[in-house]
Amino acid sequence: MKWRDGMRRALPWLAALGFAACTDKIAAPGECPAYCPTGMITVVDTVLPMAVYGDSAFGRPVGYVNPFNSLTLLADALPGLRDSRPIFRTTQLLLRLPLSADTTTSQVNGVDSIRLRLTILRRDSAAHNLTISLYKLPLSIDSNTTFGQLVGPFTDSLIRRVNVDSVIALPGRRNAAGDSVLVDTTNQRIILLMAVDSAHLPIDTPDSGAVALGIRVAADTLASIAIGSSENVGTGPLISWYLRVDSLGIATAHRLQTRSPAFDGFVYDPPSPALDSDLTVGGVPSARSVLRVVFPQIISDSSRLIRATLELVPAVAPMGITADSFGIAAHAAVTDFGAKSPIDLTHVDTTGVQIGTTDTVKVEVTRLMRYWIGDSLAPHTMVLRQTGEGGNFAEIRFYSSRDPAHRPLLRLTYSNPFPFGKP
Amino acid sequence: MSGRLRIVIGLVTLAGTVPGLARAQESQFGITGLGTPGRTESVRARSTGGAFAQFDSLSFLTEASLTTIGSLTATASLNTSNRDLEYPTFNTWLRTTRFPSFTLAGPVAGIFLGGGFSNYLDRTYSVVTRDSMILRGTMQPYYDQITSDGGVSDVHLGAGFRLGRALSIGFGVHLLPGSTKESATRTFDDTTTFSPVHQIAQVRYEGYGLSVSALLNLGRALSISVYGRDDSHLNQYVGDTLTNSTNLPNTVGAGIMWRPSSKVRFAGSATMTTWGDAISTASNTLNWSAGAEIGRTSPVRFGVRGGQLPFGPNGTTPTEWAVSLGTARQFARGHGAFDLGIERLERTGVGLTEQVWSVFFGLSVRP
Repeated sequence: MKWRDGMRRALPWLAALGFAACTDKIAAPGECPAYCPTGMITVVDTVLPMAVYGDSAFGRPVGYVNPFNSLTLLADALPGLRDSRPIFRTTQLLLRLPLSADTTTSQVNGVDSIRLRLTILRRDSAAHNLTISLYKLPLSIDSNTTFGQLVGPFTDSLIRRVNVDSVIALPGRRNAAGDSVLVDTTNQRIILLMAVDSAHLPIDTPDSGAVALGIRVAADTLASIAIGSSENVGTGPLISWYLRVDSLGIATAHRLQTRSPAFDGFVYDPPSPALDSDLTVGGVPSARSVLRVVFPQIISDSSRLIRATLELVPAVAPMGITADSFGIAAHAAVTDFGAKSPIDLTHVDTTGVQIGTTDTVKVEVTRLMRYWIGDSLAPHTMVLRQTGEGGNFAEIRFYSSRDPAHRPLLRLTYSNPFPFGKP
Repeated sequence: MSGRLRIVIGLVTLAGTVPGLARAQESQFGITGLGTPGRTESVRARSTGGAFAQFDSLSFLTEASLTTIGSLTATASLNTSNRDLEYPTFNTWLRTTRFPSFTLAGPVAGIFLGGGFSNYLDRTYSVVTRDSMILRGTMQPYYDQITSDGGVSDVHLGAGFRLGRALSIGFGVHLLPGSTKESATRTFDDTTTFSPVHQIAQVRYEGYGLSVSALLNLGRALSISVYGRDDSHLNQYVGDTLTNSTNLPNTVGAGIMWRPSSKVRFAGSATMTTWGDAISTASNTLNWSAGAEIGRTSPVRFGVRGGQLPFGPNGTTPTEWAVSLGTARQFARGHGAFDLGIERLERTGVGLTEQVWSVFFGLSVRP
């Protein structure tokens, strides 16, 4: 009985000891080669010059993103390089408004004031005296309007001009003319509220308050900004009309109507060059390049791929200013439909491109390659596109596989199969 | 049958359903070869340095010893060990816990049958090395980790026959199935640029062997045992592909037991295994042991053993020696028994000394 009682008391301790002892530790530093496995991991670093084939650029004259559907409206004034001017047209106003709960409406009979809100999403921090000028344009502007067709209105139809930097420098960031600036440091945005005199934008009864406006930008140097478009939710141009409404001749009521653009875009000069045999990425309208890739069957296991780099040689240095430096994204194509290949947003690798250099651009495509190796049904088709497509005039052109001396290369680092099952 | 005994039987049966866990003591000396040879010994035999194994029906080293079993008996064992590794430049330690053996044996219609599993080769290790290589023009440091987890089991079935009062003989068939989960991983310090490599494989093993043994009782006090075993080839497969086929050794052994009284037993044994004849990079091994058991219901056991290991660097032959101590306690009016043993083992080879503390638990049930 004593032994049984002792065992009963000792059992929990023995169980705890057993669980503690069950924790294995089998990893130890190796003293090689004497006490290491004979099999070794061998790594190969190789260049596959013929890996890329069937490569072409697409996206001109109609790009994947065009000025009329871009998320940004580009305003540049870079002498000798380009001149770009955002344009937009708003919808009509309601010229009869209800003043009470019933259905009776009253006539709008005047405008107290007008305020235009513009959201600047990008500016060159080295640009000083950033000035934005507002022009009245003909209501006929649309996506087919060219830079040349608007030279006249942009010359003689100035409405307002605001020096954004000077307003930012003022206490309260508001000037005497009623312009104000909000600086959103969290989102890196500048919101400009520009006061417009009703005399410059009278309610024109035939057009019912629809207006077409254009924007030019100026600065001491590097005048280049990106303004949010109506496609970029919450950042597009917005006009607030503070209206006077007839209140049955007794008093004047005040009402607010806001209008977003029915159309917005930008016109620019010079026009974008046409595509050629090179692999073009970026620009406006935005171009993409589609590359097919073949790689050896020895890399049959995605876990053996260590690094994959796509090396592209620029045919010409990308043009622009420093702020135009952009990123290139290499997407896997969901299916290979050539120019219309849908891109896979989850399997993507990126790299950056600097303006003015012709250094070989190297895109690390390890994730992409691992996806291809792991999914035998995935087409080995890669789509190169600019990050923030349509928001940057800068483009880059790489030599294609049709140029034997400069064709794209695929550099692979992988491990050979480990000799499992051999002592 | 008491409730406690039913629980014990259940535990033993459970141990018997998990042959995949059957491993024995690992050793760094087995990494460069086929593995570390296992020891077909019960906790009782292990506590005597292995000297009693040839006479112990639950060790299953010799089938002739099955004839000494009184009734149907099941036994299973648990082994936990701590290993200190001493290299010239650094020391480290390892710890493992295994179920090295299970045996079920008993008399059936005048024949003594037995079956079970034990460890034949252990291939559990994980080696981490540090090195660097030039990749894309720059030196890239990395860690390699080669891991193997598993081994080859000896699933045996044997029969013992009494040929008169003095002589017993036995025959056994041994299947050598096994598997190891192996992996090879290289992790570069610069994990952002260079992805880690991780390759895995399941290696499967197949082989078989035959054994024969004899047990001669010279009066009540003296017994002599001899046995021989012929193992064929060990085939290794990755998937369905045969990656390697290795000859396996022959084994011969002999032992002697002296029982001066009913409570005292002494035994000694020697075994030779022709690993060197089977594999060019291995060495033939000669191992010996001596031990004693004093007492019946709660005996004290002790022993010493020594010998050689087949695999060493550059064809050298590591050596080992061990001392052991153990005891046992019967319960349920002799229907069950706990065995407990402890062993201190030292293995010595070129540039490496292993010092191992092992603790063994055994559970035997006679329903």
